Amino acid sequence: MRDKCRSVTGFYAQRSERLPQGVQGADEGRRHAAGSLESPAKAETGLHAFEDDKAATFASGGACMNRPDPCARVLLLLMAGALLWGAVGCHNREPQVSSAKHLDFNQDVQPILARNCFSCHGPDPEMRKAGLRLDLEESARQKRPGHPDAIVPGHPEESELIKRIESKDPHHLMPQSPQGEARPMKPEEIAVLKEWVKEGAVYRPHWAFDKPVKATLPAEARNDPWVKTPIDAFILARMKKEGLHPSLESDRATLIRRVTLDLTGLLPTPSEVKAFEKDPSPDAYEHLVDRLLARPSFGEHRARYWLDYARYSDTYGLHYDNSRHIWPYRDYLIRAFNDNKPFDQFAMEQIAGDMLPARNLDPLIASGYVRLGVSSNEGGTIPEELRVNMTRERTEAFGATFMGLTVGCAVCHDHKYDPTTQKDFYALSAFFNNIDEQPFNGDRPVWAPVVRIPKTQNQQAYNQVLAKRSELESKLRAEERQGRALVEQWIDSRQNPAQPVSTDKLILRLRLDEGGGDELKNSAPQAQPATFEVGKSKPQWGETTWLWPDFRLDGSARVALGQIGDYEWNQAFSSGGWFMPRSTPSTTTGGTSGALLSKMDTTQHGRGWDLSIEKGMISVDLINEVPNEQPPEKNAPGKKAAPIKESFRYPTPGDLTAVDLAKGKPDKKPDAKKEAEKPKPAKKPGPQMAPDPTPRIAIKVTSVDPLAVSGDWKHVFFTYDGSGKASGIRIYVDGAPVATRVVQDTLGHGTIRTQVPMQLGYRHPDATPLRDSRYQDIRMYARALTAEEVKRLPLEDYAAELTNRPRQQWNEDEWHAVCEFYLENVDKTALAIRSQMKQLDAQLDKLSSGGVLTQVSSEKPSLAYAHILTRGVYTARTERVEANTPHYLLQLPQGEPRNRLALAEWTVSPENPLTARVTVNRMWAEVFGAGLVETTEDFGIMGQRPSHPELLDWLAVEFRESGWNMKHMYKLMVMSAAYRQSAKSTQEQLAKDPKNQLLSHGPRFRMDAEMLRDIALQSGGLLVDKIGGPSVKPYQPPNVWEQVSYPASDTLNYTQQHGEALYRRSMYTYWKRMATMPDMDAFDAPMRDVVCTRRQRTDTPLQALVTMNDVQWVEAARALAQRVIELGGSKPEQRINMLSEILLSHDAPPSMAAVLEGSLREMQKHYAADPVAARKLVAVGEKPRDPSIPEPELAAWTMVASEMLNLDETVNK
Amino acid sequence: MGLPIPAGLKQEWAALETRRQFLGRSGKVLGWAAAATLLGSRGLTGDAHATDSTGRQSSQDELRMPQFAPKAKRAIYLFMSGGPPQMDLLDYKPNLAALYDKDIPDSVRGSQQLTGMTAGQARFPIAPSHWAFQRYGQSETWVSDLLPNTARMVDELTIIKSTNTEAINHEPAIMLMNTGNMNAGKPCLGAWLAYGLGSMNDNLPTFMVLQTKTNPKENNQPVSSRLWSSGFLSSEYAGVGLRSGGDPVLFLSDPDGVDREVRRKMLDAVEQINLQTLAEMGDPETNARIAQYEMAFRMQASVPELTDLSKEPQSTWDLYGPDAKEPGTFAYNCLLARRMAERGVRFTQIYKRGWDVHADVTGLLPVLCQEVDRACYALVTDLKRRGLLDDTLVVWAGEFGRTVYSQGGLSKENYGRDHHPRCYTTWMAGGGVRRGITYGETDDYSYNVVKDPVTVRDFNATILHCLGIDHNKLTYKFQGLDQKLTGPVPANIVPGLLA
Repeated sequence: MRDKCRSVTGFYAQRSERLPQGVQGADEGRRHAAGSLESPAKAETGLHAFEDDKAATFASGGACMNRPDPCARVLLLLMAGALLWGAVGCHNREPQVSSAKHLDFNQDVQPILARNCFSCHGPDPEMRKAGLRLDLEESARQKRPGHPDAIVPGHPEESELIKRIESKDPHHLMPQSPQGEARPMKPEEIAVLKEWVKEGAVYRPHWAFDKPVKATLPAEARNDPWVKTPIDAFILARMKKEGLHPSLESDRATLIRRVTLDLTGLLPTPSEVKAFEKDPSPDAYEHLVDRLLARPSFGEHRARYWLDYARYSDTYGLHYDNSRHIWPYRDYLIRAFNDNKPFDQFAMEQIAGDMLPARNLDPLIASGYVRLGVSSNEGGTIPEELRVNMTRERTEAFGATFMGLTVGCAVCHDHKYDPTTQKDFYALSAFFNNIDEQPFNGDRPVWAPVVRIPKTQNQQAYNQVLAKRSELESKLRAEERQGRALVEQWIDSRQNPAQPVSTDKLILRLRLDEGGGDELKNSAPQAQPATFEVGKSKPQWGETTWLWPDFRLDGSARVALGQIGDYEWNQAFSSGGWFMPRSTPSTTTGGTSGALLSKMDTTQHGRGWDLSIEKGMISVDLINEVPNEQPPEKNAPGKKAAPIKESFRYPTPGDLTAVDLAKGKPDKKPDAKKEAEKPKPAKKPGPQMAPDPTPRIAIKVTSVDPLAVSGDWKHVFFTYDGSGKASGIRIYVDGAPVATRVVQDTLGHGTIRTQVPMQLGYRHPDATPLRDSRYQDIRMYARALTAEEVKRLPLEDYAAELTNRPRQQWNEDEWHAVCEFYLENVDKTALAIRSQMKQLDAQLDKLSSGGVLTQVSSEKPSLAYAHILTRGVYTARTERVEANTPHYLLQLPQGEPRNRLALAEWTVSPENPLTARVTVNRMWAEVFGAGLVETTEDFGIMGQRPSHPELLDWLAVEFRESGWNMKHMYKLMVMSAAYRQSAKSTQEQLAKDPKNQLLSHGPRFRMDAEMLRDIALQSGGLLVDKIGGPSVKPYQPPNVWEQVSYPASDTLNYTQQHGEALYRRSMYTYWKRMATMPDMDAFDAPMRDVVCTRRQRTDTPLQALVTMNDVQWVEAARALAQRVIELGGSKPEQRINMLSEILLSHDAPPSMAAVLEGSLREMQKHYAADPVAARKLVAVGEKPRDPSIPEPELAAWTMVASEMLNLDETVNK
Repeated sequence: MGLPIPAGLKQEWAALETRRQFLGRSGKVLGWAAAATLLGSRGLTGDAHATDSTGRQSSQDELRMPQFAPKAKRAIYLFMSGGPPQMDLLDYKPNLAALYDKDIPDSVRGSQQLTGMTAGQARFPIAPSHWAFQRYGQSETWVSDLLPNTARMVDELTIIKSTNTEAINHEPAIMLMNTGNMNAGKPCLGAWLAYGLGSMNDNLPTFMVLQTKTNPKENNQPVSSRLWSSGFLSSEYAGVGLRSGGDPVLFLSDPDGVDREVRRKMLDAVEQINLQTLAEMGDPETNARIAQYEMAFRMQASVPELTDLSKEPQSTWDLYGPDAKEPGTFAYNCLLARRMAERGVRFTQIYKRGWDVHADVTGLLPVLCQEVDRACYALVTDLKRRGLLDDTLVVWAGEFGRTVYSQGGLSKENYGRDHHPRCYTTWMAGGGVRRGITYGETDDYSYNVVKDPVTVRDFNATILHCLGIDHNKLTYKFQGLDQKLTGPVPANIVPGLLA
């Protein structure tokens, strides 16, 4: 209820002052007040709005009031109020209201406080001075012992805040810089704050955090004949207030060019222009808009913007900056926009598509959004650091794209301006901290989780199976949501209780749940010794959670377990536990290998035993002796590297093949071929090492399949029966036996005893480390466990322990462990569903065979947590926080799982105040050149205030109520009279509204990099009309990649493609983060390292160099020239007209034609005199030219076409 | 159509734009604003409130830069990417020879997190430098035999042995050095200077970046345009690459078959039509575009003049050596840097990659030093001879140092060194800094700073100071914060470095 109430307040607070003439607003306000007399807050709100309306009346009498400069407006307002209050205001005035409230906290006061005060007196407690916090009403009013009251409502002269900002004493004067220098406020700012205090120092919630409410259309404007859409009523009302008038409607030619560019990113053809100009239908424009919205190029154009919002790139952005295979995500975007996918669905699929029921792969492909950020495989990187950085990046990206907030400011400390606390940030980050992924990318084009997209011919069959699977999955999720209730029923029923594993001969149990310190407890019943010391570096505790917060053996940490595990060949024993092996950067170790558990002396020909991972395979070794330098075993599978297996839960792509996972290699340089042909010097035989004559007396058993490596936990265990034979060894993964292969079986009665200590993660001494791996519940039994027992080890044994304790005492993690066990082992429904799903997965795997891979998201089964990190430092973990949304916004429903799906639902909830506003604002910016909130990425306290708050809210609500209909919103915008205005500006308009925020004339601005190149290609008839697919490599100057890249990078050399690839739309151009395409770079294309919702729009000579000299532009000019020569008619004026029609959608006006004809004559003269130059010029670019056109003629026209391409009018929309 | 431009309209626009600047300058959408610092002309002594050719008042006027009389007007930054090993070059540790192959004491190493590359190493054996050191100059500075030319100019240098950083891997470390932040998205030093000080030349970019051709033998860590990016500042402040192959500036050359005369004619036609558009549409942006085409035309002449070394006297070649004739070498780039300094380029940064000597130090260092040593000497000497050194700051630095213990195998003949953030050696020369001194000390292992530490923040604050900028005042409002090169954690100018 409170929320609702606040939103009503917010509505009026936002609306205040801009409501026309006061009448409508006051009536509305009164209605509200009357309808809720029980609520004084609401009553006051209504009156507040009314008073503001009046204030607005005065304000409208003033000249030049620039929205972003509230001070000037307020100063004027104050003057007006003083002079005219009685005269103008009285007819509307409610006599009982004596304390007139002129100022709008959000518009007028908060920006001044934020700018000047919040860095020391804002939300961040670390920086807070004198215990004074000014961003919240309660704390600003709080008494502070030993300090005078900061604010005494109604009494500026008694308020310390005012005294300090007016102080003449430089030591006393506020505000001050962090270095203690006084930085006095502007007089007009001081005036505002004084007036605010005088009026009672009323605070309002920040406008953007209140739910938008649809305002009634301004009465004085809505019936104006100029108004074509509701948008216009708001625009016109505001213009009237500022003494501006709308401009005339653009002529049809201008209009069709503008709207075609805005909706498709391309130019209208001359015939389209003519048809539109002649269309007598009163709905001609609307029909045009509808046709454009239906074009496939609409989806491409919208997707092109979204690529910036999602930080899409074809390389991963750091160190090697290798290729990343995720272009199917781009194709998804195009489909989504063209299918007019409702935005709520569109957003949810990107945030959590992997967790949504699916009828096709689109939601899963969309979830690649989460993984688009930069990643690394740099050898020296510490895995936890990388993991923390990636989670942080994803959180910041989500904040910018969907919330319009700079949440990243709270990484190191509470946000200085917004209410986002550090805890809020890390709780939000927890949603992205539970992706089933290894931090290192292996320098590979894909790394799990990935999905294999079936080939077109299999898609239908695939989708049918997928739909069945989705149904099952939905049922399973429903069952899971019942988890706790079902567990309670199960326990109370005493049916199938969880059975413990007998502790008979359990000699070692390292639960590794100590949570800190460097002493490990052995919790086996007769533990001897009871504790172990961790040597060298300290272990890392609690970075992630599985059964409990975990334990990681840091790179140089050692755990010596003494003489535990000291067995002879004829003694049975079993060992293993939960592991999360690190997938090491392949640059340093060449794959996943290393010892998990070992009692082995590598200095004594490997005597001992161990459980290890060798190139991905699980291996158990019992060794008497083996040669020191071990050549490949005789019956090993040749020299071929073991297949790497990366997996995640759904949909399993099967084993990724070596080809899938191969590291990229640099494209060969053109001259590399020659190099390769050179005879290679014969290899000198290296110094031959004498083969170690030691015989192999050992047992070696390995798994047939590699251990699937992901960011997830695996339970790995083995048993040995003391038979001295390989057949006596069994290997288990997650409690189930796995197929094994006997590599060596020659141990016989040879001893395996050694005096070196047993170790976690290493062989003695310091050999074969499985670096940076995580461990939980490591056990050793002095007997061979039965298969039935091993099945119970991973979870059932622990569940049995927990169910013996009152469940009221279980914490979240314990509940999770029991639920996990119950659902995977006891619950009949879940078991049945799982087994059916398994069959379907196999079918999906088969049906997707041969398809392309794309990276997606996948949730781990563990709970989503993160840690608050002091100053953002990955090692400085403090509180562990559960996934949650920021405390000051809509709360998540109670009792529901806290995962990305919940976040996705929250994002598009009708109650979410931000998503719709942020999204329509970006749409607005795409079309009008700047957002209603200019800072499209920041709707927080420091962001710009909306120029038309009611309009923004109206659009936001309209968007939601339309079913999040994106095409509807774009149509609404381009149908508006505001949009259709002529872009001509007068000096008066420029003087009053230099940025045209009030839209007294139509939008006109330089097009983005991609659009410019696209229209150049299009004008020359070069553009290839093909949608989607992998990125292409068109022309690029030499040595752009080479001079910055790592020599081993697969993007070291840029190999330009030919033919069609040269002329695709720019959104398909290969995007290398560390070397942006230079022509795009010149026109402010971002690197896409981070989300960009607002490109800069600069104007530099480097841009002129691109459009004059880049081969793509010269070739386009040549092709355009050829086109007009061939099709434009024989007379120069006809051809010039055609040039103009193609690029500008209108005939060349005489003044322009005169210049061009003059220039043509000069060029013709020049090239006639210099045919060699002409030949050179027309040879630019790979597109064959029409040989029938004389070279000097084509050259001359090429220059004229180039002139046209370089016009200001051409590059502007 | 084709209306004549009303009398005085241009001036109107100029005035308007100044006003716009005043009223509406905000965030990133600069569009028409402040275009001219890329090429705008105004020396340090210029009128503080002058407007440039397009009528714009640029950032330095608002910022009132420089804030005090600077010692240096320009800077040249020689960036040794990869992390040079300080104990093999300038941080002489004679005691280490006796400790060959001994483990570095745990007390020295402390609880430091090691990189993933040596974290698993069982031992950390000390690798003394393979090279002998001698004392040079009046300052009696110890210099390795690897740097015979640097040795000749030690009395010009300010050597800082106590530089230290927080980052242990290349990407974050190189970002921190260049932009003051380990994460992407912040403007680099050069962009801040361009933003704060503007240009001194009408025809050349304010901030230029030169890449040295890679030597395939070396371990060439990558660099990327984010190192010379303008971050949240307008992209016009980003570094402009001056390249050794093809066009010195991308797309600078006219296409084949287009000569200067044709270009001029073409531009005349474009300008005439753009003026018509300006008159019709009244968009001040058009005005800016006209000016930018003119600047592009001038650049097409001025850049080739800059890179045309044919008029360099023999003394130049004697000084820089034969390498300087080959485009893309470090020596060539140093020579260009001097030419740029003469022509008023505010900030030149030369990247030399290859210092990431994880292995084969004795094989790699002689090659690297041979590429760099003479050219550095030549640059400083050349600037001095031409009277430019007094107001040019030269900076030589990498992103971190290297470990005293060997990465991988250690033998008398060879060793490797891992990344080391806790101390590394850098030097400066010229405008604003004290000559012939060594600042800061490291312990006997060149592992920890024991005296006068200089953080990256301090280092950058000091560079800004030399150029007349108070690092706390060169700020830009972004995301609500007064962003600055030295970041939120307090930074200090290092007075001991200043002349």
